[in-house]
Amino acid sequence: MSSVFSNANNSFSVNASNVFYQSPDRDAERSLILQWLSPLEPQRRHQYVKIDRLDGVGNWVLETTEFRKWSEEEDGCDEPVLFCYGNPGVGKTYLR
Amino acid sequence: MIDSLCDQTGRKDSAVAGLYCDFLAQQEQFTTNMLGAVLKQLVSRGGIPEYIQEAFQKAKKDFSAPGLRLPDLMVILKKTIASLQRVFICIDALDESAPKHRRELLESLRDIVRVSPNARIFLTGRPHIEDEIVRCFSEAVRIPVSPTQGDVKNYLEMRLDRDTHPSVMNDELRADIMRDIPAKISEM
Repeated sequence: MSSVFSNANNSFSVNASNVFYQSPDRDAERSLILQWLSPLEPQRRHQYVKIDRLDGVGNWVLETTEFRKWSEEEDGCDEPVLFCYGNPGVGKTYLR
Repeated sequence: MIDSLCDQTGRKDSAVAGLYCDFLAQQEQFTTNMLGAVLKQLVSRGGIPEYIQEAFQKAKKDFSAPGLRLPDLMVILKKTIASLQRVFICIDALDESAPKHRRELLESLRDIVRVSPNARIFLTGRPHIEDEIVRCFSEAVRIPVSPTQGDVKNYLEMRLDRDTHPSVMNDELRADIMRDIPAKISEM
């Protein structure tokens, strides 16, 4: 796993104290923490999906009673999990 | 889906987190990374809560385990979800995740919804993983997705308009495509 500590094998404590205590850059620390939570960046993929998506396609799902109940009901909804299934290429990823 | 939920929740104290599973990224898409990415999205709008900063400082001092462990992550994630009015977690193409990761991920999600009445989970995947989902969420609402005739026509029109070889297209061919392909798809 490429963690935020990966470049620090033998000089970890030195590096860490330099980075965090001598230059208290809040933005840098913030991005280190976010990177520590996970190196994955699903937002990037989302940008591509957004660009590729054709308006209106699959919107019928949003009109179904099932979806409305699931998304609008307040706490204690009967079933918190919604599963949309279909074969490859039917447009599951591109539901808006 | 993520965008619809964002529109809907934009005004309230709600958050939407999305993940895309990918065959090619199975190696790095293990449970802590996946749920860590959910948490990252939930906290990235505002300031990072103190308990996360503390956990980070603690992990930094621990040579043996600098990464987040699943039990610790779950505690933090549940705490963060509890601080929001409503949380939507959307995971696309669950069938593309490695089976052993998928099981752990689903079990973790089950654990989350048990203690978080304000959490909603949206999953997509191929039909064959339905059993696995039902094993964890016996009451899961299931919607089969297939394109409507209108969707197919809109999509075809878009593709034909963007055709990179327009010279080989003519009205007759275009009419054939627009008639035959939607008809074939509705038979599938």
